[in-house]
Amino acid sequence: MLNATVLQRLAIAVASTAMALLIGLVVVAAAGYDPVAFLADVFEGAFGDENAVARTLKFTTLFVLTGVAVAVAFRAGVFNIGVQGQFVVGGFAAVVSILWLAPFLPEGGVGGLALMLLGTLAAVVAGGAYAAIPGVLKAYADANEIITTIMLNFIAVGVVGWLVEGPVRGEGQRAPNTDRIPEYVELPRVVYDTPDFSVVGLGVALAVVGLVAVVMMRTRFGYDMVTSGHQESAAAYSGVDAKRTVVATMALSGMVAGVAGAVFAIMIQGYYSDPAGVGTYGFDAIAVSLLAANNPLGVVPAGLLFGGLDSAGSHIRINTDVPVQLIDGIVGLVVLFVAAPELFRMAAARTGLGGDDR
Amino acid sequence: MSVADYAARNRTRLGGAAVAVVLAGVVAVALDVPVAALFTVGFVERSLQAATPIALAAVGGLYAEKSGVFNIGLEGFMIFGAVNAAAVVALLGGESPTQADLWVAMLAAVVIGLAYTLVFAVLTIRYKADQIVAGLAVWFLGLGFGPFTAALLWGSRNSGRLVSVDDVTVPVLAEIPVVGPILFDTSPLVVLTALSVGVAWVVLYRTRYGYWLQAAGENPEALDTAGVSVTRVRYAAVLFSGAMAALGGAVLLAHSGSFTGTGDTMVNGRGWIAIVAYLFGNYNPLGAGAAALLFGGLDMLQIQFQTAGIELPNRLVNLFPYAAVVVVLSVWGSTRMPAAVGESYESEE
Repeated sequence: MLNATVLQRLAIAVASTAMALLIGLVVVAAAGYDPVAFLADVFEGAFGDENAVARTLKFTTLFVLTGVAVAVAFRAGVFNIGVQGQFVVGGFAAVVSILWLAPFLPEGGVGGLALMLLGTLAAVVAGGAYAAIPGVLKAYADANEIITTIMLNFIAVGVVGWLVEGPVRGEGQRAPNTDRIPEYVELPRVVYDTPDFSVVGLGVALAVVGLVAVVMMRTRFGYDMVTSGHQESAAAYSGVDAKRTVVATMALSGMVAGVAGAVFAIMIQGYYSDPAGVGTYGFDAIAVSLLAANNPLGVVPAGLLFGGLDSAGSHIRINTDVPVQLIDGIVGLVVLFVAAPELFRMAAARTGLGGDDR
Repeated sequence: MSVADYAARNRTRLGGAAVAVVLAGVVAVALDVPVAALFTVGFVERSLQAATPIALAAVGGLYAEKSGVFNIGLEGFMIFGAVNAAAVVALLGGESPTQADLWVAMLAAVVIGLAYTLVFAVLTIRYKADQIVAGLAVWFLGLGFGPFTAALLWGSRNSGRLVSVDDVTVPVLAEIPVVGPILFDTSPLVVLTALSVGVAWVVLYRTRYGYWLQAAGENPEALDTAGVSVTRVRYAAVLFSGAMAALGGAVLLAHSGSFTGTGDTMVNGRGWIAIVAYLFGNYNPLGAGAAALLFGGLDMLQIQFQTAGIELPNRLVNLFPYAAVVVVLSVWGSTRMPAAVGESYESEE
């Protein structure tokens, strides 16, 4: 996949998505629903009105951030499947630190901004530290990071779930939730007047994308990361400590996941609930990143696509009786097709659309 | 490799295991844990049952990886196995399915699983799909379409109560203390799993096909030169792995009696644990079976803790198998993978 040109990658991404949607529609039809109506619902749910657009951008913000987190690691040849866990740990750390620090800071705008910054910092540290564990285990104990990160996802959900059920449950909360963070700790509402989306959040996500892209493409550290991922021996000869690079890569990836957790906690939820129900942004992010060929900038359009799909899912859940899990299945199909670029190359060669230039 | 050889080559690992056991003993004595109340006959029975889906999937995954294809989609194939078995049970038996319906459903789940796995095999072997990414895709497909199927059939992500498999009791022999209830009054699926593990060992190490399988993963060129199609061996191994994972999912359903599609579904990481089980077992089916039993036991500790009156939150006790996987991988991490895993092979002819 690395040898493909930008144009080929784009074609593969578009073809994968189109094939996945097509199969999704066939499933819808086979299950006895109207595929045309379903498709119309998808578009209406994603971009139909201002509410739908705001909802799409809300999910896009999360997918861009978690997608970049995945891309950082994949690009460097490390499989961080644990973004979901790091996202949960980061978001929980943000809420808890804001709740703890709130009494010491003045109420109002300035205090709110300070608390948001401190909460995000806590999320970054927590996410980065949680991701560093599998990094250390891979580098120094040769433990397969795919499996350790998946196990750490289960552990993060279990431990945070237990914490919000008992030890840090808010006073008088009937559901297993923490207390709400103070009302003045919120992102300003610009353009869209919805309680759980702010353009500022999307701005934060795009800023992180820019930062990561610069680190990956313009710094010594980024260069070391990518070379040690794809040319391990070459990197070793040029004096790169491969083990430390693996740990640093995982930590950076987890820090970005932590930002995503903080944005989710502060912008969308305002408290922390049982993470078994917070949405699988960290898993879908794997599809986002793969669709973007693990390019941090490519994550933005891929994140928009997945944001639209998720937003359509919310609409479908309410307005139709097609089971919404279908959307998750379509995400899986996208990943499956992205995994097999050769399929499209062969198809293109057969049909005479080019593709024999490899 | 004989046991003595293994012990000689893995001194640190065995030492580590011994230290872990001693430490656990020290903790148990220091905290005054009622050990006898923990290790009961019922616990052994429950652990064996909990180990069956893991062991079946592990044996399948082991064969695929031995042949040179890393089937990381075991979890997804298990989810499909469980939901398909549930669906067939419901379609055959309606409100009150019988044992016969359940057995037919398990068989059907394996056949349907083979069809899915064929797609995975063609993509990874013929179209050289990235094995890791395609495997993750299978997991996502399971997480999406498993609950989707349930929602179509039952209007919710969980099925209602279906049917669970009856224990088989061998008269007289079941009366023997301790051994009797464990071996002769148990789920037939436990026996089936034990047999599968044994047969898998024999085929892998004592038949010509087993040698082909190992060669396909270690040195595909040599196998090709010897006139055996590497591709065919790999197709067979991957299809077998998908079928075993589907069977594992169906067995999980047959033991629990209903399908759960919420959260990470009822499979809940067992496919991933299966991968660790065969790594832990050093790619040996018997070792993988033993490791599955260890994870099954950890999974069932919760009930023992309750009956022994040890107060620990369920939510945390449930995490023991996952934590154990992380520890096992860190201590046992560097198992030697077959040399050609993950590489697609193209015959020169």
